[in-house]
Amino acid sequence: MAETLRARRVESGVDVGEWPHPERTALVEGRGALLAWDVLSGAVFPAARVYDPVRAADWLWEVYGPEVAAELLGGAESVTAREDESPVRDACALLAHLGWVEAWWPASSVAGVPAVDPVLLNAELAVATAAVEHLLDDEDATARALAVATLPDIAVDPEVAALAARLAELADDHGVALPEPVAAPSRSEFALAAGGSDRTGTISVLSGVSPVDWAAVPAGVVDAAAGAEWAVVREPGGTVLEVTVLPAPGLAPRPRLSARFGDVELPLDGVDDLGRITGRVAVPPTVLLTPPARRVLTVYAAGFAETQPDPDASERRAAIIAYARSRVDTPTATITERRAGRR
Amino acid sequence: MSSPRASVAPEQAGVTLPRGLLIAEAWSRLGPAVAPLGNASGRPLARTVKLILDPLVLRPVLNPRFAAGAVDVAHAEELRDRIAAAGPVLAATAAWFLLVKKRRRKAGITEGNPQDLYFQRCFELATTLGDPGAGAVAEADELLADVHDRAGPTVAGLRDYVTDPVNVGALLRMLDAAWAALPAAGPDGGSVLPDRFLATCVTRPDAAVFAELVTDLAGSRGAADLHRPGVAAADGLTDRELPTRPELGAAASKNALPKPFDRSIVQRLFAPLTDAARRDALADVPDLVRREIARSAAPWQLGAEPGRVAMLLGRAAAAGLVGPPAAGAAAQLRTRWEREAYVHRARRMPGDGVHADVHGVREAYLRRLWVRLHGRELVDSTVVATEVWDLLDGVLRSVILDQRDRLRTALERLDERDGHG
Repeated sequence: MAETLRARRVESGVDVGEWPHPERTALVEGRGALLAWDVLSGAVFPAARVYDPVRAADWLWEVYGPEVAAELLGGAESVTAREDESPVRDACALLAHLGWVEAWWPASSVAGVPAVDPVLLNAELAVATAAVEHLLDDEDATARALAVATLPDIAVDPEVAALAARLAELADDHGVALPEPVAAPSRSEFALAAGGSDRTGTISVLSGVSPVDWAAVPAGVVDAAAGAEWAVVREPGGTVLEVTVLPAPGLAPRPRLSARFGDVELPLDGVDDLGRITGRVAVPPTVLLTPPARRVLTVYAAGFAETQPDPDASERRAAIIAYARSRVDTPTATITERRAGRR
Repeated sequence: MSSPRASVAPEQAGVTLPRGLLIAEAWSRLGPAVAPLGNASGRPLARTVKLILDPLVLRPVLNPRFAAGAVDVAHAEELRDRIAAAGPVLAATAAWFLLVKKRRRKAGITEGNPQDLYFQRCFELATTLGDPGAGAVAEADELLADVHDRAGPTVAGLRDYVTDPVNVGALLRMLDAAWAALPAAGPDGGSVLPDRFLATCVTRPDAAVFAELVTDLAGSRGAADLHRPGVAAADGLTDRELPTRPELGAAASKNALPKPFDRSIVQRLFAPLTDAARRDALADVPDLVRREIARSAAPWQLGAEPGRVAMLLGRAAAAGLVGPPAAGAAAQLRTRWEREAYVHRARRMPGDGVHADVHGVREAYLRRLWVRLHGRELVDSTVVATEVWDLLDGVLRSVILDQRDRLRTALERLDERDGHG
């Protein structure tokens, strides 16, 4: 199999191939170049941004083969990379993929994508990092990855036990003491919420659902497929805006979220009986006059990207969700993916 | 594990091969005996290259034809031969390393990174004794004792020395005297040399220009304005309006260190003394303290001119992070910083605010650079022209990666639920 890659000279180096959308990007930060695989395309060869050709030349041949790497760095505008065996490229792709799982795995009760276990993920990340540490930008990358790793519970299965053994050996090599496995907490997979709870004396006069922009919230916080529900409610005391967000399954850290509706800002600081994240704020009755185009709810976490309208988002995210769902049953997927939702 | 192939027409003048490819090729022929010095992809570890192959086998300082980057095909065979010839010593080094790690585990030692601490020592043992044989366990234990127990001054020794009433008076007088005679070098007259060096230091560092900067005392003269109100604070080196004479101090902890110029003498020496990899290269305590006192009153609060020049260059290059786009090293630093904004998006990390705080990054950059240079002075490692770019770039990388670690921790701390499940 051969893949044709276009290359462009840029001020600081060379750009190779088509750079994927961040949500589809599996990234490796190499010395002198970034590599990016598109998780949905299945391409063997990554795109690259070479920003220091001298440093990158030392290892880029591992990824594209010696001849193609020389052509790319020598100013070729188009190259044909032929698939050959390259354990280092495979190891880079694995590290990149695990990084994607960490950032973008779309855990969702609604879409049936189980959460990944962060202990397994961090263990696999440390082992994958160590496998290609010779070409990474950060020469302490392995120690850094080990610093957040804990030993997986080896009672789980032989594959996990092998991973734990490899991790322990690595930690030993780097003089890092790993925390012992903690007893698996009872995982509370939130039941799918079916509609709002009934309360007497309130009338919902306006309501809707807006998708949550993945880029506006950290990984694993909000259900990747469920929209955020909002309702303008008349109560005896006045008018109130209520927001309900379905959390992602799993145990990822959950920072405080906020929401914006038209000109109204509100903190999402409550949890309802169904475990959903909620927020509630008094609003002037004029909020009912908000034109339909502005009746959009934006959910975000502090510091996360300002969301831009993105017409491709829903199609792209649907594809990513379908992809993630398929990974759970793919024998060549990472342990983390295959064991998602299991203990 | 597969061996890389360098199918290149032999002996074509001017044709080069990546050094990494030649090393990988030669390395894979050494077989499983060197696996402990390699990673799971069968390549030598970054530290194997940095601590063993470069300084002890290829020695590019003596053999510029083997320097990092591209190697002329005319020298390719020689490079491969040299690694092949070192095969038995490398295999023995690996065997020693395994043994030392085993003894380390037995002794319950957890301090420091074993690769950093033992690689070169194991290479020494391999060179003098060959493979570990009879008496190897004793040798390994002695190596461990040497690295971990006997080597160099300790924090406790430092604390005892500076708090001993017998010494305190003299040390304080020494501090006062040093600070009574502040820097003499005149201010910088707007030399073009720093910019000239920075313009090419990424790819072709000009050793002559660097030497000129050093003889010109450009670093010292560039520090003159630090004694104008607010300047050192704007560079992130102090919280005070003006740098003031440091305290002797008594206690220190790695986590709550003040800014460099606000650190006590003890605090300045604390981190180097707790670094097992470098401690044995340090002078004894009285000497360390005397030198630190003198250093604290010197330009940039550094003792040697090459390091001061590096501070000057770092300040000039880091200005490119906030100011208009510049060329050379400054431009490269800026692209690293701009790349980070992209990486935050791709890794789904918070970006707002972080990226706006570019002034904070410039200050953190100068602080980190100072700490690196100060640490090198303590082990008498002089900055040379060819290292400047790696230093300037490495400092920004480390500031950026620490920022990522902090963001990650902050996200976890913000967790509203009780603990982690």
